[in-house]
Amino acid sequence: MISFTSFPAAFQQSSYAHTRHHPDTKEDMMDVDDLHNFGLQDSKLTCPGEYLTSSQAFMRGHGTYVDNEEVIASVAGTVERVNKLVTVRGIRSRYNPEVGDLVVGRITEVPSVFPGIETSSGVDLATGTASEMESRRKLETGRCPHAVLRNGQLVVVPPILVRRLKSHFISLPCGVDLILGLNGYIWVSKHVKQNEQEGEEGFDAEAVYSNVNDNIDVSTRTAISRVTNIVRILASHFVPLTDALLLEAYEWTVEHEAEATSTLQEDFGDALVASVTTGQ
Amino acid sequence: MFELRSIDIDLGQQGQADGSAVITHGLTHVLVSVFGPREAKMRSQTMHDRANINVEVSVAAFSTGDRRKRSRGDKRILEFAATIKSTFEPVVQTGLYPRSQIDIFIQVVQQDGGLLQACINGTTLALMSAGIPMLDFVCAVSGGVHSTHPLLDLTTLEENDVPNVTIAVMPKTRKVSLVTMETRLHVDRFEEVFRVATEAAVVIHEEMKAAIMARSRTLIASMKTGSQQPGEMEE
Amino acid sequence: MRPPSPSIPEKEFLFSALKESLRLDGRLPLEIRTPTFKFGEELGWVECSLGKTRVLAQVDGKMVKPQPERPFEGTITIVSEISPMASTEYEIGRPSDEEVTITRMLDKVLRRSDAVDKESLCILAGQRVWHIRLTLHFLADAGNLLDCACLAGIVALKHFRRPDVEVIGDEVTVHEPTERAPVPLAIHHTPFCFTFAFFPDATTPPVIDPSHLEQRLSAGLVSIALNAQKEICVLQKLGGVPLGTDDILRLVDVAVGKAKEMHNLVEVQLREDWAGRKVEVR
Repeated sequence: MISFTSFPAAFQQSSYAHTRHHPDTKEDMMDVDDLHNFGLQDSKLTCPGEYLTSSQAFMRGHGTYVDNEEVIASVAGTVERVNKLVTVRGIRSRYNPEVGDLVVGRITEVPSVFPGIETSSGVDLATGTASEMESRRKLETGRCPHAVLRNGQLVVVPPILVRRLKSHFISLPCGVDLILGLNGYIWVSKHVKQNEQEGEEGFDAEAVYSNVNDNIDVSTRTAISRVTNIVRILASHFVPLTDALLLEAYEWTVEHEAEATSTLQEDFGDALVASVTTGQ
Repeated sequence: MFELRSIDIDLGQQGQADGSAVITHGLTHVLVSVFGPREAKMRSQTMHDRANINVEVSVAAFSTGDRRKRSRGDKRILEFAATIKSTFEPVVQTGLYPRSQIDIFIQVVQQDGGLLQACINGTTLALMSAGIPMLDFVCAVSGGVHSTHPLLDLTTLEENDVPNVTIAVMPKTRKVSLVTMETRLHVDRFEEVFRVATEAAVVIHEEMKAAIMARSRTLIASMKTGSQQPGEMEE
Repeated sequence: MRPPSPSIPEKEFLFSALKESLRLDGRLPLEIRTPTFKFGEELGWVECSLGKTRVLAQVDGKMVKPQPERPFEGTITIVSEISPMASTEYEIGRPSDEEVTITRMLDKVLRRSDAVDKESLCILAGQRVWHIRLTLHFLADAGNLLDCACLAGIVALKHFRRPDVEVIGDEVTVHEPTERAPVPLAIHHTPFCFTFAFFPDATTPPVIDPSHLEQRLSAGLVSIALNAQKEICVLQKLGGVPLGTDDILRLVDVAVGKAKEMHNLVEVQLREDWAGRKVEVR
């Protein structure tokens, strides 16, 4: 179904009906202080140029800058405070690599020295900064070295929706594995048997570095595409991804006997998100 | 005299863009998309110590009363893009993204005066929704003088007839990062309209801030509903 | 090709000198280089130099059919392209941002500010009007090309004389300069452009008429074009470091004073040149 809307559908319907005047002719000016009070009490929202705190008592972290001994926000998002460190976490920013992050990347060029890997952080890993290099090395020294991903497909979501979890390798009982890269790239693939994954000594180089897909039966393929679509739906509703949530959503789609393709319809997605999020 | 036209802001996502905004000032309608910071396409444009900002403006042929196609190489559009670029260069913290590039694409859909102001405000919002660190908002507003009275937020008709000024203000410090005036005006009159416009920019700031905050709130709210550990979001 | 940026010691030296209000060429922060004019044999031919920045302006006029939508107005075109002759920074064919700014500024200052009365260029409504063409050649760039070009342009327009014409019925007679004294263009006002440079450090005072190095290292330029009658024609600050409202108004004040000085200087120069010419009046 194709629907036509005049201009991209507005994300918020609130229109500012009142007229705006020069401050000299004061009428109904919006009360700025209100902004902080209503809505979410726990997470303080801020936007660039907002005064956060004094720089003498606190240290500035990401998303802030110091001017005149004042810590000021430089991105729109939530204020976080860890001891003396004040950071502002942008809501929809590009991925900021940190040491130890698990990322899913895509090789974009193979020069003679070493390949550049696109990770959506703006700068390719291979040509990136020191911290990025570090994260790459972490990946390499981790239990699962930068393996070639196969038997599946890639979904891209805003990086903030992938939270730091205990494990970024999720196996769903339907025979689907997910690798949640912190950069927002998610690899959905056929389940790899436990002994194959764990085989540290009997490391099967052939299997790990192979770039040929295995034979995947139809039911697994359907499951993979179903999971992929669920991830897309959750991302479009801006819901952070977790293993329990994905599982629940998967069960819900099976329950409603939805075809993998029909999951992408808008009303279906809305219903899915509604049921999954209220279920908790 | 001092009333601004109605402002509508939509920060909904457009396609692949990292941040985008649609802003209308009365009948002026501008669409801005921001991509980046990303790997610079052209090696020659990369700078080792900061990100390069690239601005491209396209004006729809149907955006004015008389249909007119402007080529990409049009001097006025080039100047326009250069203006926007130099306005945002000192505001965006480009030093955080060395060797990368931030692309700003501006599409003018409809124009009825105050084009520069709409473009600057739209770009500010798009950059913010892309999560690009900025020192402050940049709020632009146009002003004019009719005989001796200052006016604000001019339409095309007014723009053609009265001397007009566009200024961009950074509301936190109240400092002015852009001033353009292209018509003859006495120094004293100029001072008057300049001061009034600076005040008006603060009003526009409130609007823009409200939009950004509203968007943040919606996004956070939807994240919370799905979040397994609600405590995670707390400080 | 982008020329290499000034070296770090060079930059630091300039900044620390400016902080103490010292400029490398010994000027005060708000002192302009005194312009010198060389008038050519022909009327409307002026070479203007600000220090080592030199711009040659030449005006000619011819009769054309007016644009159908403006039958009572003559036209003025400004031809300016910065050739690599001025500085290696400029390339032919691909205008840099700076070049676009200069071209647009010239257009605004000299043409759109209505310096020249276009209606007086009309000879016969809808049939014949004067088409005035101002060509600017950028000979050398030692900073502040824009001010120099504006100055050269306006002086050339003031210097120019067009042949006198006589209209009897539908017949247009052009009088040779030997026959009748050529007439000057009707100039409403003479705008002068002044450029101020700002530096990243807020305590450094702004400088007027920046030299090439100052311009390269500046963190923002403000160009103000105004006439001796205290009317601002163009005020342009395109981005760069943000300034307080009062800072900008202070610059306007400075420019007002400078414009008066410049106006007198230009008038004196033009008069001297005019006096030196043998004008044949029958």
